[in-house]
Amino acid sequence: MKRRNFIKRTSLATGGAFLVPQFLKAFETTLSQVNSYKKVVIIQLKGGNDGLNTVVPFRNDLYYQNRGNIALQKNQLLKLNGEVGFHPSLAPLQSLFDDGHISIINNVGYPNPNRSHFRSTDIWQTASDSNEYLQSGWVGRFLDVTNSKPYRAIEVDESLSLLLKGNHQNGLAITNPKLFHRLLNQPFFDNVFNNYTNDKHLSEHNLGYLYNTMIDAKSSASYIYEKTKTQSSSVDYPKNAFGKQLKTISEFISSEIDTQIYYAGLTGFDTHVNQKNRQARLLKVYAESIDAFVKDLKRNNTFDDTLILTFSEFGRRVKQNGSNGTDHGTANNVFVIGKNLKKNGMYNNLPNLDNLDVNGDLKYTVDFREVYATILDKWLSIDNVKVLNKNFSNLDFI
Amino acid sequence: MKTNHILHLYHRIGFGLQPEEIKRLQTKEKAEVIHDIFQASKKITPLYIDTSFTNNLGLKDLKNKKKRQALMKVSRKKIRELNGIWIDRLNKPSEILREKMTLFWANHFVCEDKNILHVLQYNNTLRKYALGDFRAFVKAISKEAAMLKYLNNKQNKKDSPNENFARELLELFTLGQGNYTETDIKEAARAFTGYNHDFKGNFKLRKRKHDYGKKTFLGETGNYFGDDIIDIVLSKKQCARFICKKIYSYFVNDKIDNDKIEELTTIFFTDYIIGNLMKHILSSDWFYDETNIGTKIKSPIELIVGTHHIVPFTFQKEKQELLIQKLLGQILLLPPNVAGWKGGQNWIDSNTIVTRLRLASVLLNNAEITYSDKDDFKAVITDFKKRKRKRKTFIKTTTDWNDFEKKYSNISNVELVDVLITAPISNGTKELLKHYYKLSKKEFCIQLLSLPEFQLC
Repeated sequence: MKRRNFIKRTSLATGGAFLVPQFLKAFETTLSQVNSYKKVVIIQLKGGNDGLNTVVPFRNDLYYQNRGNIALQKNQLLKLNGEVGFHPSLAPLQSLFDDGHISIINNVGYPNPNRSHFRSTDIWQTASDSNEYLQSGWVGRFLDVTNSKPYRAIEVDESLSLLLKGNHQNGLAITNPKLFHRLLNQPFFDNVFNNYTNDKHLSEHNLGYLYNTMIDAKSSASYIYEKTKTQSSSVDYPKNAFGKQLKTISEFISSEIDTQIYYAGLTGFDTHVNQKNRQARLLKVYAESIDAFVKDLKRNNTFDDTLILTFSEFGRRVKQNGSNGTDHGTANNVFVIGKNLKKNGMYNNLPNLDNLDVNGDLKYTVDFREVYATILDKWLSIDNVKVLNKNFSNLDFI
Repeated sequence: MKTNHILHLYHRIGFGLQPEEIKRLQTKEKAEVIHDIFQASKKITPLYIDTSFTNNLGLKDLKNKKKRQALMKVSRKKIRELNGIWIDRLNKPSEILREKMTLFWANHFVCEDKNILHVLQYNNTLRKYALGDFRAFVKAISKEAAMLKYLNNKQNKKDSPNENFARELLELFTLGQGNYTETDIKEAARAFTGYNHDFKGNFKLRKRKHDYGKKTFLGETGNYFGDDIIDIVLSKKQCARFICKKIYSYFVNDKIDNDKIEELTTIFFTDYIIGNLMKHILSSDWFYDETNIGTKIKSPIELIVGTHHIVPFTFQKEKQELLIQKLLGQILLLPPNVAGWKGGQNWIDSNTIVTRLRLASVLLNNAEITYSDKDDFKAVITDFKKRKRKRKTFIKTTTDWNDFEKKYSNISNVELVDVLITAPISNGTKELLKHYYKLSKKEFCIQLLSLPEFQLC
């Protein structure tokens, strides 16, 4: 039998006696209202973006000594001030910078840095110490603490990263609301989950957890699909995967769904070999997409309430390697983009290339969790200790 | 033995049971069934993969960058192959309990490596000690090449100690957090200095790198080696308790019953023989309590292998076998970190639950899945336009429905529910199933395998 017939037959087998969908009821509880209109968009440049060739200290001789073949020359750069310039691929971001909508935080890292992509990504996503293995992400714990529905945090991807996994609640991974909705609303699933009547004896049982997770997923998918189906951005985004992700996020934001945190990523920054062209292409993709995204937000009057955070799991070694590339490093710059930044431009001093660790890597001066703490406290209005489990001091970029 | 007890037992020590076997065991007493399980697992059958490409190589070849890279490339491919070989073993095990325990220990002594020789040796060490002497087991693990690399004990030297292994030994492998001090970690690390291995993966002590001085560890002082540290750790009842708790939550119930843990701890602490502990658990009456049956969320591997036990299938592409594991969140030989997979409800999120419920359709009925390559840090992107975040594919499998029809020929659809699902079935679904009874057995089976209840064992 063909699959299509199979589904038809099995769905007919119930005789069409649907009960009132359980999941519709679940939606009466609302999110806590405090600042729930504030959005954070988190972007990871995966593979370890070379921060030194992104925000370039063109007055520093040490930069040119260490970066013989791959250094960017002063006349190529987009000057931000008397000593530092953007990589030429970041041209689309220059006006944002000039308008005071970008804050660049230098030397962000953590003690005893780990140079594995996977491990360091885990550390950034879980907000752990480098010798601590947490199994929940800080965004996931934000969902736990705020007692949220899964769709309060959305990753625009096909599978969910640790970042969005809490101890009790997980976020949602979704690329296409229509497909996701269709996938979850097949006749068979409808039959199984619409018939589920929260049996009391199952509420504490893992089976109850499975049913409820699926019902949550179904209701989230329906909610997002219904809310977003008429949304379509009128801004032209670059036609690549990253542009598409940001376009989806913009459509989600303008549809006014109750999502506060979005996560997207651009991969390929692991530039061990022939870094120059590759990084130039990737940064172009990044900058053009962000530019379109911000224009879109502005057009929809949502830029005021949206903060964009860009990080990489680590920066790269100060000295280039023998293959015109760079190896895994440590501290890196983080970009914060938003309308009402308290401190824009260069948030703090450029990295000290004269004081490196034993591997020849930058020493961090700002703990990445201070960036999170600031966003949690000042933007999302939630005590950072509750999410980060340790108290981190706030920065004043917002 | 009662049918539901037999099924419960075999879901926990294995991946389910065929109707013919159920029938055979129904006439036996519990003690006999358990005795036979242990008899069958006495043997040790190591996994095998051809590593002859390393035969004429040695450490000096690793110093040559080109040679090393070529070697690592073959090695990585072999590790992917080994993943499939391991799954095949789980699909058709003769030493079922030993294999299930091996899977358990692989998520206790968590380790990952890129060298196929060392990965294979490590995996077979887990298998060798799976039911044996825990003391010898920990000592063997501390000397495994893969572990020496994974937790940086190779870099642990007299003049520049590295505490990574010592810390995880205490925190994750034996005592659990809060049962030692930072000083204990430092002192233990000194005892493990100088540990190293040769090209083939045999343990070598670099005497000049070992710290022969006095160490004070958990209140005792002496010129300890690593093995002495392990002996001291095992002299603490907390070590037995820590292991019993983990075994209980894996084999019995992830809701811990402290009285049971104390009962088990007392037994395990007397000899640290894993097999004795397991025999006690499986023979106890409480193991078969209703509250312990059908309550555990299957791991992705239990789900995949469990499905295979019912309807045999083979992947046509090795890559897709790994893709399925990835989408479900558990790739064998590639743990997320040294703490391993958290298990239980942590397997489940809005995305994995959908993949899980559709798994039977995807594997057995050619349904489509979508996925992305987001975690491929090494991805070299040449054409951004072509590269899509979302990809769609069909998992190509060859499915042996004849085998299913044959095995389950004497079983009606109504009976099939109890044979395939050990969890209690929710009321709504019970009603729903009545409408499906008239389907063909094959169709009905796919429906059952798509229920949330099948996610439990």
